[in-house]
Amino acid sequence: MQTRPLINDLPRLALLSLAALVVLAPYIWMVAVSVKPQDEVFKASLSLIPQKWALIENYGKVLKTIPIWTYIVNGLIVCFGILFFQVLFAVPAAYALAKLNFRGRELVFGFVMLGLLIPYQTTALPLYLGIHQLGLLNSYTALIAPFTCSVFAIFLFRQFFRAIPDDLINAARIDGMGEFSIVWRVIVPNAVPAATAFAIFSVVAHWNDLFWPLIVIQKGDLYTPAMGILAFRSVEAGEDYGALMAAALLVTAPLVLAFLFAQRRFIEGITMTGLKG
Amino acid sequence: MADVALSGSALNQPRLARRMGGDAGIAWLLALPAILAYLAMILLPLLAVLALAFTDYEFGARSFHWIGLANFADMLSDRTFAASIRNTVIYCLFVAPLSIGIALGLAVLIEAGSRGKALYRAVFFLPVVSLTVAMATAWQYLLHPSIGPVNALLRMVGAGTPNWLGSSDWVIVSLGFIGVWENVGFNLVLFLAGLTAIPRELYAASEIDGARSGWSKFWLVTWPMLGPTMLFVIIITMTRSIRVFDTVQTLTQGGPNNASEVLLRTIYQEGFHYFKFGYSAAITLVFLVIVLGLMLIQTRLIDRRVHYG
Amino acid sequence: MSGIVIEGVQKSFGMTSVLRGVSLTVAHDEFLSLVGPSGCGKTTLLRIIAGLEAVSAGTVQIAGREVTALRAADRDVAMVFQNYALYPHLTVRQNIGVPLVMRRLSAVERIPVVGRLLPGVATKRCQISADVVTAAEMLGIGALLERKPAQLSGGQRQRVALGRAIVRHPHAFLMDEPLSNLDAALRVTTRAEIVALHRRVGASTVYVTHDQSEAMTMSDRVAVMMDGQILQVGTPEAIYTNPQDLRVASFIGSPSINTFAAEIGPDGEVMIGSVSSGLGSTGTGPAILAIRPENIAPAETGIAARVDHLEYLGESLLVHARLLEGDELVICRLPPEARQQLRRGEMIRLRPDPAKALLFDGAGRRRPAQVRIRDVVHG
Repeated sequence: MQTRPLINDLPRLALLSLAALVVLAPYIWMVAVSVKPQDEVFKASLSLIPQKWALIENYGKVLKTIPIWTYIVNGLIVCFGILFFQVLFAVPAAYALAKLNFRGRELVFGFVMLGLLIPYQTTALPLYLGIHQLGLLNSYTALIAPFTCSVFAIFLFRQFFRAIPDDLINAARIDGMGEFSIVWRVIVPNAVPAATAFAIFSVVAHWNDLFWPLIVIQKGDLYTPAMGILAFRSVEAGEDYGALMAAALLVTAPLVLAFLFAQRRFIEGITMTGLKG
Repeated sequence: MADVALSGSALNQPRLARRMGGDAGIAWLLALPAILAYLAMILLPLLAVLALAFTDYEFGARSFHWIGLANFADMLSDRTFAASIRNTVIYCLFVAPLSIGIALGLAVLIEAGSRGKALYRAVFFLPVVSLTVAMATAWQYLLHPSIGPVNALLRMVGAGTPNWLGSSDWVIVSLGFIGVWENVGFNLVLFLAGLTAIPRELYAASEIDGARSGWSKFWLVTWPMLGPTMLFVIIITMTRSIRVFDTVQTLTQGGPNNASEVLLRTIYQEGFHYFKFGYSAAITLVFLVIVLGLMLIQTRLIDRRVHYG
Repeated sequence: MSGIVIEGVQKSFGMTSVLRGVSLTVAHDEFLSLVGPSGCGKTTLLRIIAGLEAVSAGTVQIAGREVTALRAADRDVAMVFQNYALYPHLTVRQNIGVPLVMRRLSAVERIPVVGRLLPGVATKRCQISADVVTAAEMLGIGALLERKPAQLSGGQRQRVALGRAIVRHPHAFLMDEPLSNLDAALRVTTRAEIVALHRRVGASTVYVTHDQSEAMTMSDRVAVMMDGQILQVGTPEAIYTNPQDLRVASFIGSPSINTFAAEIGPDGEVMIGSVSSGLGSTGTGPAILAIRPENIAPAETGIAARVDHLEYLGESLLVHARLLEGDELVICRLPPEARQQLRRGEMIRLRPDPAKALLFDGAGRRRPAQVRIRDVVHG
């Protein structure tokens, strides 16, 4: 396609830029307000640059009042813990479903498809009961365990493994590998693109989740970033928007920065796995 | 995407050069961790919800009774539940058409030229990867009745300044607007994928055939060729927006006066606030049935329309 | 009615120049092939005639009307695309009807359901439907009208694409390798059908192909393109027997024409090494002598070569031989009986038929030459 002259392209670009501005508005104001002192925030002016900078004051307040680093570390532990188990469980199962013939395979796959249809919020009540019975409320286990079996991961990896040629696996068998070594030495290295896509999908979903942490966590030192913001809002900060925006910015930044560095992979990962939303 | 998902299921299973016997045992062994986790985390809890929905069990109680459909009967007279269903439906009917329409328009605009593709795509996608709770907080400031920039802007042009999140007339619209903001990028990327999959030659052919304006090309080529994508996007957006929770919990807690009570929040509230597990499970079933219904529509329609190309 | 006239057309994409001053006239009723290796600019030229691509310089006229600045929709041309470009969501009937619907109905009248209620639309739709049926019957796809493209075979899709092109009787047909997606057998039968169709509807046709046998068998005239230029336009016979450029001579014909480095002596005699070719020319210096495989054969005297390989084709025998001087490969086409007389590794002497030999200068341009009987006798 030919690039048309810039002048003819301007209306299109103007329209898109306007829409982009609306989308970016909350980010712009989040950054602006996070460096404004409280009295300027309350003046309700439209100016973005503060007259008096309150960067230290606002961010200092966040760091002083809530253990925001703990929340972020919690978020990382939970997200990568979930991801670790999801991949650990899903890869061998997906391999069996994709490449091995066994009685009951159709049945197992049927259950995988069933699982795809069930939103995770459906099972919250019994899971809470079980975790309570085991005395595991307020623990990393409570945050991680319910998500260890991702039917979506099984499904995705199965589709991906089916494209790996049988001859490659047969060659590995002739070379003397057992099924377990085939999974970890032949299949996994070949599954990196699918795994990356799934990893991004999974981390984004669980970093942003609020529903489940809200249910199983009451203790502050196990708060995830999303809960941390909520707590900071309701208890400590009230209407101190400067500090609130500073906190919001700190917990939004990790994923947004990762996205900006690898946006193509993020977009592929999240939309390719969009099935589950 | 879903097309891939559905086509791959039963067709041409790979034939294996199998050794005698051995496969089955190893296969089950490989699948065992996943099967155990599936049983414990999905299947058993699912069955338990099904059972709970027909009991009066309350968390902490020593016993419970089977009460048949009484929970469902209670829903009919429960004003909170009624509000919750109504608000969820309004929210979905607000978010889905707007986020789909805007996303389609933006996708066509982005695809129409060669400048700024990656930039705009990244900008519009940003909300998808941003922490909803944090961004909701930013929106709360933007929509603040007295100090928020939105109302400051409206005051400047002399328009009215509603209490966006505080009045029962506006709260669902405001939440819906945030929902649109959240979903546009996701739909946009799906549409962009659909648009790039349309063969360039079809546009050339339509031009030869006499489609002069972009408008007639859109209706002759783009719109029908986007059919399968459109269907997928509609269902995805509906299932995403029916699960609205984070923004409501962060911004309004269902208020004012139940004006923003939504399905997932009602489940949460009845279950984990009032500990009425039986009743909450019954509402969960209603939620599940709606989601499954949407999925069913999708599979039915995709089966019918996928024969393109 | 003067067909298509292209004058001095240039096209460049950024820094790369794809067409470098192309001029071409296609008569009304004429079937002209544009043939050349891939990347020579033939498809670009076709798209420029269609109006899908803008020229960087030059003009295009169709039926006596200057159309250089007009869009494809306003040029009254039809095009058959390589992948047919059928609308997958429309039936065969609707696909063929699209050009008529877009031209005969206004935007308002095209609106589904509502549009049909407007006065006159029913009559117009009726007429369109009749025209579609006529075109479909002409192509033998009348029974397929309610199917969608996905339910058709490759050959049937190709016919639908043709139907969409002929339905509105355009001034010019443009075809972009329309047979390249068919299997070999179907390709050969469809060639004849397209030619017959062209005779029936009779409009200027420009047919792009990289397959020289298509170009040679179907066309009234052939235009050979290379590197963004038309090297020669002429009847298939002229292109084959009388090429004006060495590149044309080498591109057309299979197996390729043989070339020998030659030298024109002071007396005007064309020598291949130490052997006379039997050809005389004016001027002196190095030259290239080209001879088709069927015009060179073993003889008592001639260029010494060793038989390298024999290819028996049934109706003829191809002899691959290597020159003793220079080790170049020469291919001769002989009657099949010659197989009995030749063995691999045998020494032979090859003599080109001077009446059929072609002489080119160092830059590949054709040079005048005439047969010198004296030299043949001389050996």
